[in-house]
Amino acid sequence: MKIAVAGKGGAGKTTVSGTVARHLSRAGHSVLALDADTNPMLGISLGVGPEETYRLLAVRQGLDDGTIEHQQSVEALVEAFGVDAPDGVRLVVALREARADPGCICCGVTPQQLLGELEGEGRTVVCDMEAGVGAIVRAGNADVVLVVVEPSVKSIDVGARVIAAAVEAETEVIVVANRVRGEADLEAIRAELGDRATAVVPEDPVIARADVEGRAPIDIDSGAPGVSALSVLAERLVAQPAQA
Amino acid sequence: MPIGAGGPYPRFWATVGRRPARRRPGVVDDYEWPPGERPLRIVVVGKGGAGKSVVAATMARILARRGRRVLALDTDTVPGLALSLGAASAYPPPLAGAVEQADAGSWRLKEGIGPVRAVQRFSTPAPDGVRVLEIGDHPASGVGSVTPSVQAFYQVIHGLPEAKALRAWTMIGDHPAGPRQTAHDWAPYADTLLVVAEPTWKSALTARRLAELASEREAAAFAVATKVTSSGDAKRVAEIVGLPVVATIPADEAVLESDRLGIALVDHAPPCAAVRAIERLVDGLVDGTVRSVADR
Repeated sequence: MKIAVAGKGGAGKTTVSGTVARHLSRAGHSVLALDADTNPMLGISLGVGPEETYRLLAVRQGLDDGTIEHQQSVEALVEAFGVDAPDGVRLVVALREARADPGCICCGVTPQQLLGELEGEGRTVVCDMEAGVGAIVRAGNADVVLVVVEPSVKSIDVGARVIAAAVEAETEVIVVANRVRGEADLEAIRAELGDRATAVVPEDPVIARADVEGRAPIDIDSGAPGVSALSVLAERLVAQPAQA
Repeated sequence: MPIGAGGPYPRFWATVGRRPARRRPGVVDDYEWPPGERPLRIVVVGKGGAGKSVVAATMARILARRGRRVLALDTDTVPGLALSLGAASAYPPPLAGAVEQADAGSWRLKEGIGPVRAVQRFSTPAPDGVRVLEIGDHPASGVGSVTPSVQAFYQVIHGLPEAKALRAWTMIGDHPAGPRQTAHDWAPYADTLLVVAEPTWKSALTARRLAELASEREAAAFAVATKVTSSGDAKRVAEIVGLPVVATIPADEAVLESDRLGIALVDHAPPCAAVRAIERLVDGLVDGTVRSVADR
């Protein structure tokens, strides 16, 4: 199963990706967390820590100055540009900033190509995408798109664009309403995005604290309201058959 | 499709490539400006949600109110700067009318359209006389492409440093989240990078990476700490980012409210603490104290 996570910058994509990945792995799935952002911060929300997250970023950029070699297969890429995160999740950084080099697997391969390759190994792939709509959504490569929105005009606007692209590509959409402080916030989101499948993640001081401390929210308190809302979302994702 | 062949990324970067990293002096540098009159040439960068657009738009409005001619540049294909300025985004992408196809997948500016003409004809108005130039939007649905406008914009901004007629213009750019546009020289007009960071690890580490890119480019870079709630926050941001913090913008309910309402921060609550902090930043940039703070 391929789960893509999209939305405006700062909406909470990485927190949702990391926490859902950890929950899925705890539930017994083989989970690969694919960081498809040129600003790869998924390691922090998965719980590998800021230093290791930044080291991985540097390794990915190391192709430019020759401190790491190009990789010849997707599995070698998973090995070279990844690290084991808690609960058995494998984290892989998919992109670097420089121009992609067509023909090279580790820098020419697009995230949507990677998604398919990695799922082939019987994995559940959770793909944290760059801010914005994203080529993966446009290309329809994911089985389900989690559209993360917070109750601000811009965030909802970006969410609406992601949904339009996903619907166009005939991909299932679940709206993740994040940082919800009350019924009015949810109404504001529903008014613009329609009455769709929605996971509601309440504003949660544990998630805010995790951001400040550079930790995974699930490692601070797996029963916190926002964290457990993402647990329910993870269960829902695997309970329904993936729609190709 | 075989792995590594095609896909949108190679096609995109084939025509919008990496330029020489170091900033070249432009026409602004050729002129001896009276004290406090040198036009600011700034790009605001940082992680998503850190407050880039609010900082860029509020600076633009403040400077325009002080009589500067201000060009605000939004290089995001999901535009947001216009909204933060209190204006509407242009649709369809305005610069799409400025290009013609060169080769397959590549576009060039039409003959007679340089950076000055592009700003005159294709920028749109915002309050206080600010002009906005946007890449513009993907179509809401359908397979239409924003690529011609992306390529036109890249060519226009690379002409801005040499545009004599725009010499006195203040230029404030707002980059999309993350390091990609900074790595690919999407603000050649800027002599100063403002790296915006919240006191969280994700935001500050993103800023750290941007500070590294700024250093490769040999551009002046300063950190702006946003959503600050405690006295240690700015110090924390400075430590992680590795840049001097030249402005500390407090967490301010007025910013959240204006986000929720979709209006410009300066229009929503003029005397709020966040706007006052941005005013002080503008003062420091104009009178040169920001640079001298950083030199110490």
